[in-house]
Amino acid sequence: MSHSQCQECQKEVTEEELLSQLDGILDDYVDKPGGLIPALQVAQKLFGYLPKSALKQISTKLNKPYSEVTGVVSFYSFFSTEPRGKYVVRVCLGTACYVRGGKEVLSSLQKELEISVGGTTPDGLFSLDIGRCFGACGLAPVLMVNEETHQRVKPDKITELIGFYRDLEVNLIKEKAG
Amino acid sequence: MIKAEKLTSIIDLNVIGDSVRNDNLKIGKEVTDKILLCAGGGCIASGSLAVKSALVDEIKSRGLEDKIKIVETGCLGPCSRGPVLVTAKDKIFYQGVTPDDASIIIDKHILQGEIIERLCWKDEATQSPVPVITDIEFFKRQTKIVLRNCGEIDPLSIEEYIARDGYLPLAKVVTEHSPEYVINEMKKSGIRGRGGAGFPTWMKWSFAQKNHSDVKYMLCNADEGDPGAFMDRSVLEGDPHSIIEGMAIGAYAIGASQGYVYVRAEYPLAVERLQVAIDRARECGILGKNIFGSEFTFDLEIRMGSGAFVCGEETALIHSIEGKRGEPRPRPPFPAESGLWGKPTVLNNVETFANVPAILLKGGDWFASFGTEKSKGTKVFALAGAINNSGLVEVPIGTPLGEIIYDIGNGIPNDKKFKAAQIGGPSGGCIPKQNLNVALDYESLNDLGAIMGSGGLIVMDEDTCMVDVARFFLEFVQEESCGKCVPCRVGTKRMLEILERICDNKGVEGDIERLIELGEQIRDTSLCGLGQTAPNPVLSTIRHFRHEYESHITKKHCEAGVCRGLVRAPCQSACPAGVDVPGFVSLVGERRYAEALRLHRERNPFAAVCARVCFHTCEDKCRRSTIDEAVSIRALKRFMVDQEITIQIPEVRENAKNAKTKVAIIGAGPSGLSAAYFLARLGYRPDVFESEPRPGGMLVQTIPAYRLPRETLAREIRMIEGLGVDIRTNKKLGVDFSLSELIEGDYKAVFLAIGNAGSIELSIPGSDAKGVTTAMNFLRTYNLRGSVPVGKSVVVVGGGNAAFDAARSAIRLGAEKVAIVYRRGQDEMPAYVEEIDEALQEGIALMPLTNPEEIMVEDGKVVGIRCTPMKLGEFDRSGRRRPIKEDKVFVIDCDQVILAVGQNIENPEIFEKIKLKMNNNENVIVHAVTHQTSIPWLFAGGDVAVVGNADRTVIEGVAAGERAAVGMDEYLTGSNHAFWREERPNDTLFDPGAEPVPFPRAKMPLLSVDRRKNNFNEVEQTWTEAEAVRQAKRCLRCDYGH
Repeated sequence: MSHSQCQECQKEVTEEELLSQLDGILDDYVDKPGGLIPALQVAQKLFGYLPKSALKQISTKLNKPYSEVTGVVSFYSFFSTEPRGKYVVRVCLGTACYVRGGKEVLSSLQKELEISVGGTTPDGLFSLDIGRCFGACGLAPVLMVNEETHQRVKPDKITELIGFYRDLEVNLIKEKAG
Repeated sequence: MIKAEKLTSIIDLNVIGDSVRNDNLKIGKEVTDKILLCAGGGCIASGSLAVKSALVDEIKSRGLEDKIKIVETGCLGPCSRGPVLVTAKDKIFYQGVTPDDASIIIDKHILQGEIIERLCWKDEATQSPVPVITDIEFFKRQTKIVLRNCGEIDPLSIEEYIARDGYLPLAKVVTEHSPEYVINEMKKSGIRGRGGAGFPTWMKWSFAQKNHSDVKYMLCNADEGDPGAFMDRSVLEGDPHSIIEGMAIGAYAIGASQGYVYVRAEYPLAVERLQVAIDRARECGILGKNIFGSEFTFDLEIRMGSGAFVCGEETALIHSIEGKRGEPRPRPPFPAESGLWGKPTVLNNVETFANVPAILLKGGDWFASFGTEKSKGTKVFALAGAINNSGLVEVPIGTPLGEIIYDIGNGIPNDKKFKAAQIGGPSGGCIPKQNLNVALDYESLNDLGAIMGSGGLIVMDEDTCMVDVARFFLEFVQEESCGKCVPCRVGTKRMLEILERICDNKGVEGDIERLIELGEQIRDTSLCGLGQTAPNPVLSTIRHFRHEYESHITKKHCEAGVCRGLVRAPCQSACPAGVDVPGFVSLVGERRYAEALRLHRERNPFAAVCARVCFHTCEDKCRRSTIDEAVSIRALKRFMVDQEITIQIPEVRENAKNAKTKVAIIGAGPSGLSAAYFLARLGYRPDVFESEPRPGGMLVQTIPAYRLPRETLAREIRMIEGLGVDIRTNKKLGVDFSLSELIEGDYKAVFLAIGNAGSIELSIPGSDAKGVTTAMNFLRTYNLRGSVPVGKSVVVVGGGNAAFDAARSAIRLGAEKVAIVYRRGQDEMPAYVEEIDEALQEGIALMPLTNPEEIMVEDGKVVGIRCTPMKLGEFDRSGRRRPIKEDKVFVIDCDQVILAVGQNIENPEIFEKIKLKMNNNENVIVHAVTHQTSIPWLFAGGDVAVVGNADRTVIEGVAAGERAAVGMDEYLTGSNHAFWREERPNDTLFDPGAEPVPFPRAKMPLLSVDRRKNNFNEVEQTWTEAEAVRQAKRCLRCDYGH
């Protein structure tokens, strides 16, 4: 039995539990016109990614061929069929950020996390992605860690930034233990 | 305030509106003040929510909850200054507010009415605070229609929206007017779609209205995917009700009962606020059945994108809402006929919808009074990139680009030069500085190969490489291409490969033509807008910056210092001569001065000369300046050359065959002597012909000794002679010998480097009077003959180095008063900043923005100069503001006028005889790499044959001499032997993991003014060894690991 962490409540839950939660949620999308993409978005939020089991369930429940479901999943860059890190770091490489040094920020992150774009650290803590404009061009270069925007990031401040999230995690573990 | 519940009539709206307006009237009375805190996406990222909670705490702790209100508003515009806030009572604008400022804002400002200057906007020119928001240039010059409520209201409060006439247009339309009336007002307004293509909105609506169907759809495109555009985001976050109202009005006009807003997933805050607004509108009966008691029914749903840029295209967006892969399909049928689920559908952009309520409220004619003849209304631009005031700005369509960049955006930071503005994102193009005056409207932009697009306006400075920018955009569209049609899927890939090659030092001749051909094919044959516009950034940069592509391909040089494959270190890349800057700087840091100097002379023989007079473009590109200030490269060079005891000569390769091949060089200036030096290192024995009695060209004739001691120059010239170069002085081309004589006399190749020794005359009345001279004559006479007549009161006309050399020489030669008059502003003087500073110290009066009109003459002698003050007008083709005359005159009394307005070729008729190809600027046309002219055996360089947009400087002359030497050798032998161009390994110690040393940049010591004003002693002094070594360690060693 595989264990994973619920993205919303941060508690250990089994995949079976998540699938049964999903089943309930999907009731809202069965008759919704064009409901496949919203359903996938909800499922990804629940699991943190889109495991095969969830896709199968969506396919059955919405009465869509599995091929159509995976076809949609593979088209949109927001959907991931691989588990993502707890903190998804997305470096903006939109035009404004690009001309203000977004590239250097990215290479500094690659060095710090020792992963390439699209990768996830072995401890499952961080994933690294590039983004195409978060609409914060006035504050370029920016990056997002999950939904939090960090502005005017400097390549030499990356260690500090990542360190902040690492410490956060260490404290969480301590709290749990203590 | 009354909470809005079910609203069924205009009267209901008025009740809510009055209640909010009444509350606002209490500000300054029962309520002390209201703080409007920007909670747009930008300010939140800057920490505005922490500021809010600090403010709330401070208010609570004083028990003033009823007296001081706080409202979170949408985007105010100047994102780079966030977090920002405005106080409602006095309209005071505060920027860069931190949580620590909360208590002082409450105590000092709100309670005691004292303005906190520290947090105010500062006037750019005077640095004095501008507290009131309406006095600030950035806001003053804008016209807000789309952003009318952003920053003024709480975006989540339907009541506040209603109080600003919100939902009144909708109520009137559905109860009093027909759909035709709405379409007609839209037609009168002349509004065109703000999503990019600029299709008239009324026409789209009219098509959909005429297509009969039981179901129709109204869609809002909020999939703002263009990198660099964030206006839709700001409207959604700052005024979501205006979108709901705009869509409802549109739906009424076309007969739709269901709408969807397609928002990209990257905008969680926009989705959240829009959802709240939709829920509130539904609660109040503004969405749903029988809106305002009419028959009209309309509801709205949000659909979130999932990260596909192509979904900004209308048919792809429709597929995505249908739950499918977001691939486009061919049109026709257009969505107005068959759109979402096969029903008539209208899709408009966020900004278009935000305009609709304003048009219906105030009338189409009112809207049409803004903008140009063909493009009406305003446009919101997202100003970002290399600009001081980045953020959102809204201006009437047709506003000149330069006004947005300089007057609203306050120009380019860090004294960098404007290079281009990229407009319209990956579908758009760039606008170079020659076109700063372009009116931003749909047609003018199309003419330049750009598009309005959604309004992303990215400013790029001189540090941006246009080839790299093109590569960036192509990488973007290539990744975002959905893959459905071949031209876009494969074509963009091929284009990207070519661009990647060019940026990686592997460009080949013909690449530019291939890019154009491919680009045009992709443009003409792709299925949807993404592919059709994908080549635009490439075609547009080729159109305006072709020389940069050529320079990457043929010269293997990236002038912006960006492309990794072409740039070892930015300083080295910026040096026209390619001196190994990190190499010699790090050797100085290890006290290995002789090695450092030899390394320098590998690429530039005039190390000691350039240590005094170089324009140091290397320092402009130094990466250390991103931490504090650039490394003092020129000062380090000065210290290095001062340590030279025995002259350091780099490698010479003897070659018996070359030694017998006769090569002539005409002109013993920096360019001619450098060519001689490099030819000698290949084993040639070149002869140099110089018209003046002393070699050195401008270095000896015009540059004064207080900047360049004569022995310093003589020593380096002797070094060159020592390599087997024969310099023959007093030999003037066209007088003592001719080009044909040289060739007939067994010379196999000739390098022409005669410079620009002629002066451009200023054709104003009186310029032939006694006491008027040119800077060239003045300086040359003094420097070569030892004396020159100097007036008591001297006026120098010009702003270049020659003007300053003449002025400072005049002071030293006994002039009592010296003034420099210059037509343009002081910032635009071409002279070096150091020279301007030193001249001011020496008491020279600087009179910028002053135009000489007439030299006043009495008895044939100069007695004064009549001038007109100038002010700065619109932008000219050089990207500078054109000075325009004011309606005033004044006279400066003087007895000597020195004109330093420019130089040209002394006697161009020599070249006419041999049919040498020249361009209009009296510049000999040469090959950019070899310096060969239209006559195979004749090469030319230096000021007489400037390549591209190179400056007429010593270092450019040296670089041209080196290139020509290699070109001539290649012409004579058939191959390239430039062994000095090979990279030298750097064996100095460097720890890449160490923190940069903390020392700040030091200045060179100067001789005090009273010790230098009456003589020609060198002004700049050298550092101590300890200082030099410390300064050398500031280098970040960008070359390391390259």
